[in-house]
Amino acid sequence: MKQFLQIALGILSAIGGFVDIGDLVFNTQAGATFGFQLLWVVVVGVVGIIVYSEMCGRVAAISKRPVFDLVRERAGFGAGLGTLIASEVVNLMTCAAEVGGVAIVLQLLSGLPYRFLIGLGVVGIVVVSWVLPFEWLERLFGYVGLCLLVFAVAAVKVGPSWGQVAHGFVPGMHTGSHLVFLYFVVGLLGAALTPYEVYFYSSGAVEDAWGREDLRINKITSVIGYGLGAFLSFSLMILAAVLFLPRGINPQFLGTPALGAQDALGKIGLLLALVGILFAVGGAAIETSFSGAYNLAQFFGWQWGKRERPGGAPRFALTWIVIFALALAIVMTGYDPVKLTEYSVIFSVVALPLTFLPILLVANDPAYMGDSRNGRASNVLGVLYFVLILAISISAIPLLLLTNGGQG
Amino acid sequence: MSSPGRELDLGLGLLDHQLVDRDGRNCGKVDDLELTAVPGGEPEVASILVGGAAWRGRGMLGRLAAALSGSAVRIPWSEVEDVSSVVTLKQPAQQLRLGRGDDRAARLVRRLPGS
Repeated sequence: MKQFLQIALGILSAIGGFVDIGDLVFNTQAGATFGFQLLWVVVVGVVGIIVYSEMCGRVAAISKRPVFDLVRERAGFGAGLGTLIASEVVNLMTCAAEVGGVAIVLQLLSGLPYRFLIGLGVVGIVVVSWVLPFEWLERLFGYVGLCLLVFAVAAVKVGPSWGQVAHGFVPGMHTGSHLVFLYFVVGLLGAALTPYEVYFYSSGAVEDAWGREDLRINKITSVIGYGLGAFLSFSLMILAAVLFLPRGINPQFLGTPALGAQDALGKIGLLLALVGILFAVGGAAIETSFSGAYNLAQFFGWQWGKRERPGGAPRFALTWIVIFALALAIVMTGYDPVKLTEYSVIFSVVALPLTFLPILLVANDPAYMGDSRNGRASNVLGVLYFVLILAISISAIPLLLLTNGGQG
Repeated sequence: MSSPGRELDLGLGLLDHQLVDRDGRNCGKVDDLELTAVPGGEPEVASILVGGAAWRGRGMLGRLAAALSGSAVRIPWSEVEDVSSVVTLKQPAQQLRLGRGDDRAARLVRRLPGS
């Protein structure tokens, strides 16, 4: 039981971080467009986030330094500030998309007007984040978000051809437009490897005061947490492949995957799916706004942390509130949160290399890490993924433009 | 300094590192260093510069950021207690004129309930 509670950070990272609005959108659209053919991309993405999360969790446990301290120390002021600005833009866009997602789900549940629910949703999340201690935020959003497991049940219930599903785990290019296929590969990797996941995970590890004795829990947390996220991504894609692809449904709405759960499991399926999405997306809104505050405070050396009462880390507290306020303003313009999600995922891919390189460098630095520095496996995977990330960060925006956002 | 004789790379081991005051409070970064020439010897670190104008020497974005903010605070090297992955100072931040932004923000935040 203690272990179960200890991995709460991993569960929240999985539910609010891995399966956020970006994954709900991209996995469902990928399944509805290419069937099972992109399942292998989720595997590639999840191994990458496990490798880098384990690394930054280990760095946090041993050196007590969170990711943006490392960015500043390794990249210096100028390049660090550039990384900070890029990451803050992406955090804000993502936070706005998640806030829009919260309002959409609340609207599906209540039928009240959308703009009213944006305001209600933001005020609700800000109050909860202000009042609840860090570990209760982890537990509330992580564990209630587990309602998303309904998608796994639904995916089994709709009876996919398991042979074809297995075939989807073999990498390859199959039918359809190659450029659109590549756009989805980049989008799925971007949705799996979002930078705010590592900002939040490493700062959370410092907040939870991890030390050398927590290295094992760090490994377990990153593997189980993100493994669970990947499992949910598979479920979403399989469900969309079975239900939406044959009927030619192009899921343009956040509620579409929930309809898939309803189709398979009836009203209770719909309800569980909506509650799961609400808490996953709400948790992600908190993660992105906190990540924005963590990064700014760590770059300039302010007091930071949710462990402190807001008065003990005042600029940190003001920063995450301001990020929520800006996100509210963006969504209030009425811009479609699903479109916003696609852009935020693609732009986040561009900010990734500058986030991952300092982690990789410091995880190899004996001055920080002593005998806990990267082993051969972590380095081989770390370098491979860094090269992959560079490649997708260069191709992300051209693909977005060439495919008209995956529409072909 | 807790480990005399240990070699410290100023670029990697000191510049841009976290400053922590006597009470464990984060109070800025090592934004720049002032060195003094020692006749016939290696230059020595005279002081740490924190905030605002200290960013001027830190690249194009640094110059821009410096132009938009106030003056720097100078911390004499004699105020440094220890250098590990963070730089620990001998006094509370307030006495060194550090962490003033947090102090100002605290006056605002402490008016809110539950803070």
